[in-house]
Amino acid sequence: MEGIIRSKMLKISNITKRYFRTVALNKISFEVSESSITGIIGPNGAGKSTLLDIISGFQNPDEGEIYFNDRPLMLFKEKRKILSYMPEHLEIYPDYYVDEFIQFINAATRHIDTDLIEILNLAKVKNKKIRYLSKGYHQRLKLFFALSNTKEIMVLDEPFDGFDPIQLIEILEFIRSENRKGRTFILSIHQLYDAEKICNHYVLLNEGKIVTQGDIQTLKQTFGEDNSSLEQIFMRAIQ
Amino acid sequence: MRPFLILSLKEIKDTFFSKTALLFLMLVSFIVGYGFVTAVGLYSEQSLAAVNNLLYARGFEPVPGVFGPTYGGLFVLFSLFLPFVIIPLVSLEKEHNTLSILTQLPFSFKDILTAKIIASFLFLLFVLTLTSPCIILWRIYGGHIPFNELVLLISGYLLYGMFVVSVSFFSASLFDSTANASIFSIFLIISSWVIDFGRNMNMSPFLSSISGWTVTRVLKYFENGILSFTAVMYFVLICSVFFVLAYILLRFDLKGKWKSISSTVILFLFAMFVISQITLNVDMTESHRNSFPSGISKALKKVPNLEIDVYMEKGDSRFEDYQRSFLKKLALVRNDVKIKIMTGNELKKNYGLFVYKVNGKSGKTYSNSEQEIFPIIFGLAGISAGHGNEETKFPGYPLVVKEKLSIIQYTYYLLIPLLMILAFVVKNFKFRRRLKK
Repeated sequence: MEGIIRSKMLKISNITKRYFRTVALNKISFEVSESSITGIIGPNGAGKSTLLDIISGFQNPDEGEIYFNDRPLMLFKEKRKILSYMPEHLEIYPDYYVDEFIQFINAATRHIDTDLIEILNLAKVKNKKIRYLSKGYHQRLKLFFALSNTKEIMVLDEPFDGFDPIQLIEILEFIRSENRKGRTFILSIHQLYDAEKICNHYVLLNEGKIVTQGDIQTLKQTFGEDNSSLEQIFMRAIQ
Repeated sequence: MRPFLILSLKEIKDTFFSKTALLFLMLVSFIVGYGFVTAVGLYSEQSLAAVNNLLYARGFEPVPGVFGPTYGGLFVLFSLFLPFVIIPLVSLEKEHNTLSILTQLPFSFKDILTAKIIASFLFLLFVLTLTSPCIILWRIYGGHIPFNELVLLISGYLLYGMFVVSVSFFSASLFDSTANASIFSIFLIISSWVIDFGRNMNMSPFLSSISGWTVTRVLKYFENGILSFTAVMYFVLICSVFFVLAYILLRFDLKGKWKSISSTVILFLFAMFVISQITLNVDMTESHRNSFPSGISKALKKVPNLEIDVYMEKGDSRFEDYQRSFLKKLALVRNDVKIKIMTGNELKKNYGLFVYKVNGKSGKTYSNSEQEIFPIIFGLAGISAGHGNEETKFPGYPLVVKEKLSIIQYTYYLLIPLLMILAFVVKNFKFRRRLKK
């Protein structure tokens, strides 16, 4: 929320995705500003993960385009230079030790971020096999992978799943601090309470369509009152 | 270190130090050991009668007698068990979605697949290295090692192993689950056996026509000591096509996959047609058991439009003998000979007859012996075979192993499995120690 909003850097234009006769995403369009934290909000099955997959290049849309600084961004090899993606369904090599995985990522990216390891508190579990990590620590390791680079846009699918309240506070603070450094975040969140704590722009998705979008003030003006929660706004919007 | 090297090292570690690989390697050790002990025992027993009989001794060759059966065990292991080692390299990446990690690191799809292929190739080399004690022990026992023929045999199994690897990669790319990919992979591999079986049983003319192109039939060239350009290129092409298909299927960012897949298959079929037109075979055996004497071969190449009508059932033992001693050798010299297996009333009327036709002229014989056949063919063509029918000077290598074979058993049933378990444990132990530092 404290990020400085600058110019629009990513434009998602008319994205449509079908699986046989099912329309998973229907003409999705929105813009992401530089140094913003955009929350893709919606219930399970709304199409959030599909949308993030398409934005990151892991799936191809049937229609629509994505622009980065007004240039079309369709090839995966171009996207991976700009975007870092943490998919929701990702089971990091279960037979690796945490340290072994960290070393592999560091060696491959030629980038060692010791602060990140410290902030995510991964040193504590470095001698553990990944398969024996708790869900919260596995999530931290996924975040480590997504953030251990210098890419401009972080696309994180359900990044807060599995965190206990203390861990969640730490992670939220960490994302805010990264955002303050100028990084742009696109987060998919189904827990609206968590989304409200971190995002400064919202895209409300339901059944593959955008219900509404904007910052919290705009949403309150359209669908609620000054003291309305995001949950109440969302419920009204989908009604 | 270069990123690709880092990726390759990761893949090598994933391949060699998986529990499946450990089990597979132990199985290799048991099967190779058992095959070698049995083969040496039988070879030695039969050699007793040959050591003082020069003529009988000529039939003793170490590759078909000892190394063939030893490596034959690898054929079964590669066909039925290797897919379980290789498929997880791709399918687990898909199941766990870790491809999303690798593709976001500075690795292209090509890098990822190449690193996995390199790791699999090194694994196969390691498996074949496990057979080296057999060669060393055979030499220690005083056995002869026909180097060229043995290298050819090992190369054949290496190529067959790569074929299994390529099929495994393709299956793993096609299916999302390891179980489905494994079943499909084994189905593809053993379909070659089914076609061969169908051909041997005369089940359908179609099976007979395609059976010449099954992997098992092409592998026979290597097992029989024939270095065949077509056989080598066949393996190279079939492995390449499965690797390319795996690459196309793995690329989640690729649009119009069917177009790429069909182009690859069409290109492959065209390349197969081209190589099928080339006959370039070298008999690598010391006894030259697969070929006619050189003078005969040269003369046969000059015979124009040779056709053979065979009035015999395929299952007849005389026909099988004719195939083995004449037709197979003829195929090494030229592949354009038209061979017609007669059926119906014609067959009944002339049963047992061989008719040779050269440029409209024909000659008949009931004999399947080379001494009878060549004068007819060369007579029809008006060619002299000269002094090509010289006797082979191959002495044969019978060997009676007097030492006990327990050293082989200790090596393969105990020493090698223990060393592998030790390497597996030490690798993990070393790694833990490094971490604690």
